[in-house]
Amino acid sequence: MLDPISVTDLATSGPLPPPARWKGGGAVSAWVDQHFKWLMVAPAVLLILALSIYPLLFSLWVNFVNYDFEIPGHDFVGLQNFRQMVNDPLAWSSLLTTILLSLAVVAIEFLLGLGLALAMVRMFRGRGIILSILIIPLFISPVIVGQSWALFLQRPFGPADYLLSQLLGHPVNISWVGEVPWVYIAIVIADVWQWTPFMFVVLLAGLAAIPAHLYEAAELDGISGLRVLFYVTLPQLAPIIFLAVTFRLLDAVKLFDVIFMLTGGGPGTATYTTSFYLYQIGFQQFHLSAATAGSWLFLILLSVVIMVLVRRLLRAENA
Amino acid sequence: MNERERRDFDAGLREEVDCWLRGDTSRRTFLTRLVLMGGAAMVPGFGYTAGNAWADVVDLSKVGLADKSTPLGQAQDAAVKASTEAPTEGSAYRAVQAAQKYKGATINMTYEAGLQALEPKNFSGPLWQALTGMNYNVVELPHPDQYSKPIAEHIANSGAYDILDIEPAWIPALANGGVIVPIDDYVSKYMNQADLDDYHPLYKSITLYKGKRWGVFDDGDMFSLYYRKDIFGDPKLQAAYQAKFGKALEVPKTWDEYSQVAQFITDQLAPNVYGSAHFRKFGSPGNQFSFLQQFRANGGKFFDADMKAQLTGPAGVTTLEQMIAQNKASIPGNNDLDAVAQWAAWLQGKVAMIFSWPPTGRISSNYAQRDKAINFIPQSTIVDKVGYATMPGDNGEMASGYVKALAAGSNNEEAAYLYMQWNTAPPLSLVRTMLPYTLRDPYRLSTYKSSEYRALWPSANEYLSHLCDAANTGVVDMIMPGWQDYALSLDRMCTAVWGGQDPKAALATAAAEWDSTTQRLGVDVQKAAYEQFQKLPGSYADHTIDKLGQSVHVE
Repeated sequence: MLDPISVTDLATSGPLPPPARWKGGGAVSAWVDQHFKWLMVAPAVLLILALSIYPLLFSLWVNFVNYDFEIPGHDFVGLQNFRQMVNDPLAWSSLLTTILLSLAVVAIEFLLGLGLALAMVRMFRGRGIILSILIIPLFISPVIVGQSWALFLQRPFGPADYLLSQLLGHPVNISWVGEVPWVYIAIVIADVWQWTPFMFVVLLAGLAAIPAHLYEAAELDGISGLRVLFYVTLPQLAPIIFLAVTFRLLDAVKLFDVIFMLTGGGPGTATYTTSFYLYQIGFQQFHLSAATAGSWLFLILLSVVIMVLVRRLLRAENA
Repeated sequence: MNERERRDFDAGLREEVDCWLRGDTSRRTFLTRLVLMGGAAMVPGFGYTAGNAWADVVDLSKVGLADKSTPLGQAQDAAVKASTEAPTEGSAYRAVQAAQKYKGATINMTYEAGLQALEPKNFSGPLWQALTGMNYNVVELPHPDQYSKPIAEHIANSGAYDILDIEPAWIPALANGGVIVPIDDYVSKYMNQADLDDYHPLYKSITLYKGKRWGVFDDGDMFSLYYRKDIFGDPKLQAAYQAKFGKALEVPKTWDEYSQVAQFITDQLAPNVYGSAHFRKFGSPGNQFSFLQQFRANGGKFFDADMKAQLTGPAGVTTLEQMIAQNKASIPGNNDLDAVAQWAAWLQGKVAMIFSWPPTGRISSNYAQRDKAINFIPQSTIVDKVGYATMPGDNGEMASGYVKALAAGSNNEEAAYLYMQWNTAPPLSLVRTMLPYTLRDPYRLSTYKSSEYRALWPSANEYLSHLCDAANTGVVDMIMPGWQDYALSLDRMCTAVWGGQDPKAALATAAAEWDSTTQRLGVDVQKAAYEQFQKLPGSYADHTIDKLGQSVHVE
């Protein structure tokens, strides 16, 4: 049996001083230990600084200087870029188009999504397959959606007018992408086709979460049909509805892809949304300072809307 | 699917497919060539000059070459010889010689995505690589991005591009913005003056701005009127027209006649045949080009002495009214057509007249469709039925065109210039405008006269003579700073009118936008630029090559 080694033995059994280089290593190690948490977040912070904060600060500077590649230099111009935006009638008409189109598409998507959700909330044979098919548009890039609808609607090779002619029994010659009001209808159709499934999925989840006993109580009270919808379903679904509408509204005001592919903002500037307008002056005409000022104005405007909607949302959640 | 077929297949896609093309020539191959050159030069009676021997050992396996018994094959053979053998004072030979010192360098060039990019991928890129050992990279961009991407890269100081394929009308903006650099020093050092003089006079000075040359012109995009000879020669139609209007049915010479004839044919032959078709879809440049040529044919001037836009005057109103009449007389869906859709309608025999770019002549004869790269375009049903005429109003638009310009910040500036010079030298220019799938159009006097080109299809002779004549009376785009903005306003104006807006209101909006653009860029700056523009041949109907007494005619 080996003799037990005492602490004293250990202390005197041999020198174990770290070599000189270990001293530095120990210091580094200690420093790493001490700042470990900062080292862990540093890459993310650096990324955010490089890709978000720097561009943001840079864009703030661009707001107040000339940054038009055709005009040499970056002279300080004060509020001129903002004035240019505010005084441009196209900026206002684009904003109006954005608001109207957003409201229209979200309203239609909500109604259709609610209808579909109500129809699909009950189990039936083939429900799974239908659900899968219904949500496919959600996974398609909006650019592809715009291009597909352009191919479908655009004369003379798009089949839309031909199919309508066959259905209606007389020749149809509609310029879906070239004439008002058809061009608005075309945009709404494309957007609704893609985003109704979003409303549908969210509202379906909300419907499924409504306790069954409420419907049983309503049935016992002899309430049925539309009254159940208005007095049980919709009040219970209200927070989810508000959430879905808020999410869609915030997305709809950025409407760009479908416009870009389907109408190019035309005819004239009839379908210029704010996003399309800013893209046009920023990245096609390269009036970067004006586009930046416009983007900041749009951001501020959107922030106010978002703040109101989020507050309302939180209030609904708390209730 | 072989490599060439694969590239053709991918022509419509944006991804780069030419890694295969980037294979560098090995040192061993280069030394072998040098030995062969030297050896061949020393052996009398070898049958070749030193240059010939070199040309013979150039690896042309990656170059899309036609059979040497064909006119195209002969032109290609001549182009290779001009690059390697003689004339030694020619721009092509000089460029190739000077470029030897850049072996291994890579030049990045922008090109319009799709068909336009096939030519450097299939022919001139591989040939240049074989001749010089330089690598090339074709960066395909949609047409609007050929303007915006170089600006973005310039702002980012990336040095991404060496050669920019740009519209002549972009030159002032890109030059002022420092995106491109002048090439005068290189031209005087390397280019043969005779090759510069070989340009049609309309195109010779089109790249000049502020007294400097900003690129080499590379695409004679003259609009012309193409009409169906069988329809205009139809006795029944002629009699009906005579009865209705008291004059003979002829190819229209004015814009009012054009609408009248188009409407008459539509009334008589629709739905089988319509009077005309135009590419007037949003963003399709047909609107701005149509408006600009007619506006000037109607006596319009863009600005007054104070640089106020003059769109709302009688010429503007008349032009829009004429364009509305044209739309009405055209094929259904006219306002939604782009250039390819217009061609499709034309080739299928659905319309009696179109005005468009020169490829119309090549595709009408089915010459272009023989190549796999372009066989998605319908076969022409109107071969041998097509006539060529100068535009109504006499002033066709030199609509866009292309210039090869040197990108500021290029890492291989001289090498890039040498490619540009070689690529646009007469023998190369001839081949590149003869390729079946090409969208580059003749612009050199030697091309108009070329016996090889004239042998391509039965009426090619007439076609080339016509293109030369059209350039004599042609007008050029508004080559001024801010062109992108001015053009965008015109496109918006036209599509707004097609969408139902009152023409006068649309003209007023466009004029206000033009004034705003002028103000933004500076009235004095724009005034100076406009004065310079007015001096360009083809600036206005009263300042064409013909009016300046510099007309060129080839038989």
